[in-house]
Amino acid sequence: MRDRFSRRLASYALVSVLAVASALAAGRARKPFSPAAPDFRQRGPADAKLQVVEFSDFQCPACRVAEPPLRQIFSVYGDKLHFIFKHYPLRMHEWAKDGAAAAECAGKQGKFWPYHDRLYDKQDEWTNPKADEFLTGYAKELGLDVPAWQACRQDPATAAAYQKDIKDGDDAWVSATPTFFINGRRFVGAKQLQELGTIFMDRELKK
Amino acid sequence: MKPRAIMGLAARLLVGAVLVYAGASKAAAPAEEFALVIGAYDVVPTSVALPMAGLLPWLELLVGWALILGVEVRAASALAGAMTAAFLAAIASVLVRGIPIPNCGCFGDAMHFTPGHAFVFDSVLAALCWTAFTAGPDPLSLDSWAQRGK
Repeated sequence: MRDRFSRRLASYALVSVLAVASALAAGRARKPFSPAAPDFRQRGPADAKLQVVEFSDFQCPACRVAEPPLRQIFSVYGDKLHFIFKHYPLRMHEWAKDGAAAAECAGKQGKFWPYHDRLYDKQDEWTNPKADEFLTGYAKELGLDVPAWQACRQDPATAAAYQKDIKDGDDAWVSATPTFFINGRRFVGAKQLQELGTIFMDRELKK
Repeated sequence: MKPRAIMGLAARLLVGAVLVYAGASKAAAPAEEFALVIGAYDVVPTSVALPMAGLLPWLELLVGWALILGVEVRAASALAGAMTAAFLAAIASVLVRGIPIPNCGCFGDAMHFTPGHAFVFDSVLAALCWTAFTAGPDPLSLDSWAQRGK
C-alpha cells in the first residue's frame, strides 16, 4: 500500500518536473520576435541584446508621432539595438500601400531610411490623390534612379514583400500601428514605447 | 495489449503531445500575449483574461504530461476533453459572431491555424480524448506501474 502511494507520488512529481522543464526549454528556445526582413530595413548589429521590430504604416499619424522618440532611442542605445522595420499598411489608409512600395523600392537602391524619414516628415503633404506625384518627387530629391524605382513599384514582388509583412503582423496579432516588439514583448504606440519600452530596454540590458 | 488499449495509448500520446506543445509555446511567451488572444475572443470578462493567460498554459502542460506518462489517465483525458470542448465553444462563438481573428492563437507564436482549421483540429482532439477516457490506463501507463506496487 505504501509502495503504491509512493509510486503515485513519484508519478505526480515527474509530471510536475516535466511541465516546468518543458516550459523552461521552450522559453530558452524562443527567439525574440524578429521575422525576416531585407537587410535595407534593418539597422544595428544583428546580435545586439535589444531586438526591436516595428510594424508601421507610412500614412498612420500615430506612427509619425512615434518617430521622434524612436530616433531618440536610436541615439541613446546605439549599437546595443537591432531594429527591423515591417510594413503594416492599414486597409483604411488609401495611400499607405503606395508609401510602402515607394520606400521598399528606395531601399533596393540603398535609400530606405532617408525615404522612410521623408515619408513621415512630409506625411501631410503626400497622403492625398496626388500621392504619386509627391512620391516621385521625393525619389528625385533623394537621387534615386527614377525609371528603375518606377519599374520596381510596378513589380509584383514589391507588393508581395509588404503582403508578407502584413501576414507576419497578422500572425503576431498586430491590430494597431505602430506596434513594437522589444525582445518579444509588445508595446503599442509612441506613449507605451516611450514610457514603458525604454524601462523594459534598460532592464533587458542589465540581464 | 488489446486493440482497445493500443488505441487508448495512441490517443493519449497524441493529445498529450499537442497539449504539451501548445502549453509550452504559450508559457514561453509573456502572458500578456496570450491575454490579448483571449481578449479578442470576447467570451470572458477582460479582467479574467490575464490570470487565465497565466494559468491555462500550465494546465495544458500538466494535463499533457499526465497523458503522455499515463498518470491518472481517466481524469487527465476528461480534463483534456473539457478544455478541448471549451476551445471548440470559443472558436464556434467567434465564427458565429463574425469576429475577425487572424488565427486561433492556440500555439502562441509557434503555429498559426485559422479558426476554421482549429475547429476541425479540436474536433479530432475531442474524439481522441474520448478514446483515451474510455480505454483508461494501459499496461504502459504509470497508473498501471503504481497499481503493481505492494
